Amino acid sequence: MIPTPSGMDIALSGAAVRFGTFQAVHPTDLTIEAGEFFSILGPSGCGKTTILRLLSGFLDPSEGEVRIGGRPMAGIGPSDRPTALIFQNLALFPLMTVWENVAFGLEMRGWKTARRRARAFELLEIVALDGQGDKLPAEISGGQRQRVAIARALAVEPAVLLLDEPLSALDLKLRQHMRAELKQLQEATGITFVYITHDQGEALTMSDRVAVMNRGRIVQVGSADDVYDRPATAFVATFVGEMNHLPGRIESVAGDRARIATPGGSFLAPNPGGLAPGTEAVLFLRPERLHLLGPGEVAANGIDGHLLRRDMEGAFSTLIVETAAGRLTVQRVNSGAGGLPAGPLRLGFADSAGVILPAGETADDAA
Amino acid sequence: MTRTGSGLLLRVYMGVFFLYMFLPLGIMVAAGFNAYSPPSVTVWKGFTLHWFVELWQDDRMWSGLANSVLIEGAVIALALPMGLAGALLLGRLGTRAAGVLYTAMVSPLLTPGIILGISTVIFWRGLEVSAGLFTAILAQTTFIASYTMLMFMARLQRQDTALEEAALDLGATPFQAFRRITLPFLRPTILTAAVIAFLQSFENYNTTMFAIGGAHTLVTEIGSRMRFGLSPAINALGILFILATIVFALAWGALKARERRAAEHAT
Repeated sequence: MIPTPSGMDIALSGAAVRFGTFQAVHPTDLTIEAGEFFSILGPSGCGKTTILRLLSGFLDPSEGEVRIGGRPMAGIGPSDRPTALIFQNLALFPLMTVWENVAFGLEMRGWKTARRRARAFELLEIVALDGQGDKLPAEISGGQRQRVAIARALAVEPAVLLLDEPLSALDLKLRQHMRAELKQLQEATGITFVYITHDQGEALTMSDRVAVMNRGRIVQVGSADDVYDRPATAFVATFVGEMNHLPGRIESVAGDRARIATPGGSFLAPNPGGLAPGTEAVLFLRPERLHLLGPGEVAANGIDGHLLRRDMEGAFSTLIVETAAGRLTVQRVNSGAGGLPAGPLRLGFADSAGVILPAGETADDAA
Repeated sequence: MTRTGSGLLLRVYMGVFFLYMFLPLGIMVAAGFNAYSPPSVTVWKGFTLHWFVELWQDDRMWSGLANSVLIEGAVIALALPMGLAGALLLGRLGTRAAGVLYTAMVSPLLTPGIILGISTVIFWRGLEVSAGLFTAILAQTTFIASYTMLMFMARLQRQDTALEEAALDLGATPFQAFRRITLPFLRPTILTAAVIAFLQSFENYNTTMFAIGGAHTLVTEIGSRMRFGLSPAINALGILFILATIVFALAWGALKARERRAAEHAT
């Protein structure tokens, strides 16, 4: 019963958008596979919504080209593209009933009332809204409205579904539930999903691939594991998840590792950019890759510190440790052993744990 | 001040307020039934319905009313689309162009009505069209369209632009999106704008007086009779209007109450 138009692929080649003197999107090359769940992740104002508007047809690129399903989209308006957009605020038509909302696209395609009504109720059943068809959008809950917006977009059998932060208005529980539903729907339909979000949790859990955007540029495209564990820039490293930074200078290079000298000591870590000795750089370390070293225990890298605070968060606890290289955040799985006494301690991490990247703009600067 | 003191003051204030509002109406109504001309209540010569008979036989009054209704209809038919078009255009233009258009559309509100009337007549005389109902309609429309535009602007500002975009995205043409999404949203404003246009047109004196040439509306007719002293037939007309207003208000209230009950019943 779920409409199964095959998804279409999307290609941006050199697509850029300028508003006056403001470069909203720098020339961008991007390919999204047919049937892929693709997220664009970035802070507000990074240009991700502009890219969505390029795809939906509300905006034409100032230069470059957009292709959907191999077809150039120049001169093709939103009404005629094989895309459907789910708006951030859902944009349900408030004066129409739920089923009229769902059937709107079919009405525009000239379907007779009885036929489109039947189809709308079918779609409402798919999104588990049977019996809600004759209500007004204002009379149903936020999660139900979300489903109406999805059904309304599916009704026109799009090859590409564009989603503009559609979950941001929902509470946490419902948001997590809808994540699973969206992913399931995408797998069942085979439609290409392009999902815009500033919430890295959403992007990482649902997507086949994630593009991280900053200041009008896509700075990295990769799987959730890629962007989390192998960030390409300081911005990606700090925007996706929690990150400790230890600024320093490359001391020596050995293979794909380098030794970086920081005020807290010198550490061995992956050097994916092949930075040469003498370069100013930053060692990025995830809080969960740092662990406490017991007496006599050794690790590839060790750093002495002083426990300032322990925040109990349930499944894990967060330690704030003052070191010569700055304040570090450590995450520990909660073993049930209780708290630690404040005072001196030693932290360790593997030589594969961190990543050395050139110093550059971080998410904290952007914010 | 004590509680009862302030309560008393409030009551006195309310009494004075309502007296101020309704005493003139009461006097006007009473004078309409007094067998004495010019209209008066201080000289009471006994109850009569004579002035209603005189009003009934006053053909110029009725032709004036007919002209007023004709002009109102035409003004509503012109001012609503003009105001709506202006409001839609203002929402879509760049800031500079919108500023120019806004000034042009609103300036009739700031121009004295006499000037609107006279300039309309002068303009159309140049085109060999003499003053009459037609020029009165156009002169009134110049400033009434400004009112309707401001009302439509206020309503459109409250519309979520994503709604029209959603309609376009789902395959609607711009016209379909306007007809199915924006127009239903504007419906309450269309109704109130029509009522405002109706009232503005009906009561207008200065612009109409100068633009209408040899013809007359109810209001210009009453105005011109002021010079010779009014007959209580005018009071009779006023009484009829008050009655009509009360009937409409009651009917409107009843209609709203029924809609509310129907809505409660439906949920």
